[in-house]
Formats: sequence, structure tokens, C-alpha cells
Amino acid sequence: MSQPIAQQIAGGLEWLDERRASALARFGKSGLPDTKNEDWRYTSLAGYTQRWTDYRTASGQPSVSAGGDSPTRGADSWVAADMFTVDAVDGAFCAPLVGTPPGLTIRSLQHLTPEWRGRVEGLLGPPEGPADGSSPSSLVDLNTALLGDVLLIATDPGSCVAMPVHVRLQCTAAPALRQPRLLVDMAPGSQLTLSLEHTGAAGALVNAVTQIRLGRDSQLNLIRVQALPDDGMLTETTHIEVGEAASVTVTSVDLGSQLSRQSLTVLLAGTGASAIVHGLFLADGHRHIDNCTRLEHRAPLTTSRETFRGIADDHGHGIFNGKIIVQPGAAGSTAALTNRNLLLTTTAEIDTKPELEIYVDDVRCSHGATTGQLDANALFYLRSRGLDPAAARQVLTAAFLRESLSGVAVPELRARLETLLQARLQAGPPATMGTGT
Amino acid sequence: MNALLQVSGLRVAVGGKEILTGLDLTVRAGEVHAIMGPNGSGKSTLAHVLSGRDGYVVTGGSVSYLGRDLLAMAPEERARAGLFLGFQYPIEIPGVSNVYLLRSALNARRSARGESEIDAASFLRLVKDKARLMQMDETFLQRGVNEGFSGGEKKRNEIFQMAVLEPILAILDETDSGLDIDALKVVSNGVNSLRDPARAFVLVTHYQRLLDYIRPDFVHVLAGGRIIRTGDRTLALELEAGGYEQIVAAASP
Repeated sequence: MSQPIAQQIAGGLEWLDERRASALARFGKSGLPDTKNEDWRYTSLAGYTQRWTDYRTASGQPSVSAGGDSPTRGADSWVAADMFTVDAVDGAFCAPLVGTPPGLTIRSLQHLTPEWRGRVEGLLGPPEGPADGSSPSSLVDLNTALLGDVLLIATDPGSCVAMPVHVRLQCTAAPALRQPRLLVDMAPGSQLTLSLEHTGAAGALVNAVTQIRLGRDSQLNLIRVQALPDDGMLTETTHIEVGEAASVTVTSVDLGSQLSRQSLTVLLAGTGASAIVHGLFLADGHRHIDNCTRLEHRAPLTTSRETFRGIADDHGHGIFNGKIIVQPGAAGSTAALTNRNLLLTTTAEIDTKPELEIYVDDVRCSHGATTGQLDANALFYLRSRGLDPAAARQVLTAAFLRESLSGVAVPELRARLETLLQARLQAGPPATMGTGT
Repeated sequence: MNALLQVSGLRVAVGGKEILTGLDLTVRAGEVHAIMGPNGSGKSTLAHVLSGRDGYVVTGGSVSYLGRDLLAMAPEERARAGLFLGFQYPIEIPGVSNVYLLRSALNARRSARGESEIDAASFLRLVKDKARLMQMDETFLQRGVNEGFSGGEKKRNEIFQMAVLEPILAILDETDSGLDIDALKVVSNGVNSLRDPARAFVLVTHYQRLLDYIRPDFVHVLAGGRIIRTGDRTLALELEAGGYEQIVAAASP
């Protein structure tokens, strides 16, 4: 596979060549992860490679601007007045240089001055792969090998960016596998709300990588929404390193795609760092949604709290694999992980695996997972107030998922997510819902 | 006057055991009926069967509501036809606000009557009025249904819902249990304010106390799955003084 990829990489970014070449070489050896890998036990990328027949990457020039002729759900064209919107089509960013909120710098490769190049290189990591000797993700290597653009979002030290930034990652149809790459650098003491939305045309294939670094005392509220069309496929790797006394809140929402796999790693690297992760997914139809999260405590007095909620309906398959690792250096840390799932039909499947790995004594950790059905008493209560069974189910399903949106502090964004959720639940296939009367 | 509710020889089994053994009850518009009885007499079973809860097998008899076969109606159809059940143990539903539930419930009822959905301003005015009647803080409206409510708040919320929905027949299952005296007064006041010549109430209760505040037209004593005695409110006082045993013993063949 490596030869055609090498031939088709876009040129013009020589300083990236070494990095891309080594990533490509590593990927050539490792290939895509397969189900023999415990972390990939339930998710096969075979279908992905069948459809992915064109290795070309975006050239750095967007072919169309985002907007009117949006190829998918109407919700995709959402632009909020109170948010700063950045568009990327097929991994190429149209980063505007005007109107950027104060305290914030946004650069794509096209607009990258030498002073920012070092920052980008630092965030991308060493060209030879992770310095700590951990096995690099082959999907990150693949992204690096094929990347045509990078979006850098950086805050100024001490800046509190009032306006949320909304990044819309739109992908056109297969056969190309799109490789969006997002880098976020939170300077010490800065604050930002960042929303990241995956949308695309029918058949979109995406391998996204996001790398985030939080400096001392900084705060990031990250909202990630996957709303790809029903036959889309997404692999996504998100890596967040949280520095001293910094805190990150992640809200992850999976509503679309045929196959979606997110690998989220949060490293609590500085003393007193904290992370809150809320997740929700809706695996209905024939959707396959896999969330694999790693919260790693490396420094003393670090805190993590993760709650993931999932629904599987019809022939959907939801997977949650959440691991908390408390390293020897992380004395005095606290970690809590819960996963709650609803299985709405017998043909759907949920696999959940919460794990704790603790290498130090002085910590407080808890984890648990449940999978159940909608509460019959609550259903009856709603019906006794006049709601028909389908509406009652929908209300309870939405309510179950909505709890995961509690981390979204921006009212407009929250409302938008609620609307998206509601629309998805209403559009669900009613034939399989039953009437219960 | 035609009966709103006509229960005739109703027999109901739960898990193979007959709980109601031939119950007769006639409720007309404007009336308040109290159904009293010792624990295990079938009071809650009656309330549940009338509301359409699963798990009850009707083995005999009939129930007619507004001339329709109530037992053939789904729970939501009963609600839309103006039947309201006040739950003994109201359910907590986090993530669904009180105000959302009320609007959905009210619109379901209106739609069944061929009316359009209530407009936002009228709805807001209505719920605020009724919240005031029930001495409920308006912040309760935006909270999840019964989420984190105390026992008394939950019962108050049931009556609040009833006040907004303005049912034709309300069945209140042990609404007085778990209430302190102040909450009991508020709940009773809510019920009394809804008394109307076109509306009827069936109060299922273990204690006479509620009837100090809501004066019933009829008191029925339920024992062994049927009504063994019917009287006016003095019967409740008699029960309070002598307990159930005496009356049950007197009624035994």
C-alpha cells in the first residue's frame, strides 16, 4: 500500500517531508489496526479499506467554500452569530485571518509564518514518533503521512477568549480518505471553548487527528460532535495533554456515520491537572460506534471524572472501552468512571469495558457500567399523562442522552446540540419502535 | 344523571391471585368518593387497573367510562379522555422538565378533543397560575420531573399536574401518605379548588385525615377485594374511631 501513497502525496510542504516520510514508513510496517488488537476487538476497518481506493490528499486549497450547497443534513450549515466559525473541507482549512477573536491565533499551513512553524512542529510531536517509547498509533501515522493541511489554534497567555470557536470539518464523498489535523495550544492561564463538528457528504471517509496541549492554569471546554451521514466512516484520534493546574472538559457526541471509532487519550501531566469527559452515542440503524478512552494520571493530585452514555437500537452496535491509568507518580489523585447504556432492542448490541489500572496506593478511584432498558415505570407515567408509547420512549431516550450535555456551558451550543439530538431521535426508524399498546 | 364511571362486578388477578373479587362502584359528575380500606384490601389495585397499568389481569366484570369500555383503552387514551391518576409513588424522570411534560400532556389532551396546541403565552400563564395555587416555586417548572423532590413535593406536583390538565375524573392513589400537615393542606386546597359539577374525584386513602380537608360525598370501605360498606363521611369517622376490623367483621357473612 505504501508505494501508491508515497506517489500521491501533495508537494509544497518540504519541511514536513521528513516527518511524513517516517510516518509513512512506520505505517507501511504496522498497517491499519486489526481486531487482534484488544483495543480494536469489536471494530474492523475492512469496510473502510474497501471503499478507500484513492489515496490522494487534499491539496491545501479548498475546492468549495462551506455554506449553501452543503451536501448533507440541513443542520450542517449551522453558523451561530456568537461563535467564530472555521471551515475545513476535506482537511483543508479556510482559516480566516480577519475577525479572529482577541487572544486567539488561528493558522493553517497556507498562512503559517516561520514563528508559528515551531509551534506546529512541537504539537505534531517528534518526527520519529512518541518520545516516551509508547507505540505510535498507526492511524496518526497515516494522517501525518497524508496530511495536506494543519489547523493551529493557539491562545495568548492569560487570555480569556469569550467567543467560542466552532470548527466545521466537512468531507466530500469517497473514495479519498480525508485526513484533517487539528492542533490546539492553550497558553498558560488562557481559557477557550472549542467546538469541533464532523459532517460530510454521503460516503465520506475520514481519519481525523486532534492534538491538544494545555499549559499551566489554562482551561479548555471541548465539544466534539460527529454527525456524518449514515454511510460515512470515521476514525478519530484525539490526544490531550493537561499541564499543571489546567483543566479540560470534553463533551463527545456521536450521532451519525456507519462506522465511527474515537480513540481519546487524556494525559494528566501536571500537578493538579483535571479532566471531565462526558460522552454520548446513539447507535441505531446499522451504526457501529466505538469509543475507546484512556485517562492517564501521571502527576500528583490529578482528577478525572468520566461519564459515558450510550444507546443501541435496531441493529446498532455500541462499544465503550474506558481505561483509567494511575501511574506511580500520581499520588493523591481521584478518578471516577461510569458508563450507562440503554439497549432498546434485542437485535442491538452494547459492549462495555471500564478498566482501572492503578500503580500507586494513595488514590480514590471508582468505576462502573450498566446496560439496561428504558424504565417501565417512567414509560407508564408518561403514558398516564397522555403521551403515546413512541413519544414516551423518545422523550425518555432523549432525556437519558441529554444528561451528558451538562458540560456544555454555552447556552447556544447546548441548545444546538439538544436540537440535533431531538431531530435524530425523531428521524429514527419508527417501525422498530413498537407501540406497546 | 349518567355515571362518569361505572364499575360492575370487577374481578382482577395479579400473578394468579385474585385481588379484586367483584367490585361495584358508580361515580357521577360532581361527586367525591373516598375508598378506604386496610392494607392489602385492593385499593391500589383498583387505582392501577383504572389507569391501565400492566400486570393486572381482569378476570371478570366491566368498567365503563363516559360510556366507553375503559378496559379496552390504552393508558394514554384514558388520559386523553380526561382520566387522571395521581400516583402513590410519583416517578422521577431526570432530563425531562416538568414544563415539557405538562405541555406534551396538555397538547395530547387537546389534540384528542380536536383542539389546536396551546400557544406559548397562554400555556405559561396557565402553569404559573396553577403553580401559585399549589404554592410551588416557579423554578420547579424547569427542573426534571420529580427529580430530587421530597415526598411531599412529589405529591404536590401530582396535584399541580392535575390542576393544569383539568381532568374529568381524577383518581388519587394515597395522595395523602407521606405528607406533613402543611403539605396536606396545600394538596387538599388544590383538590378543593378543582371541585366542579362536571368533575369527579376518587380518593384512595388509608387514613381518615385527608377527609378532614376534602369532604367526600361517599365513603366506601374496601375489604377482601370488594366494597363491603358505603356511607357518607360519618363512615370515615366511624372507621377512625373503631378501626377497620370492626367493620370488616360486621360485614362478614
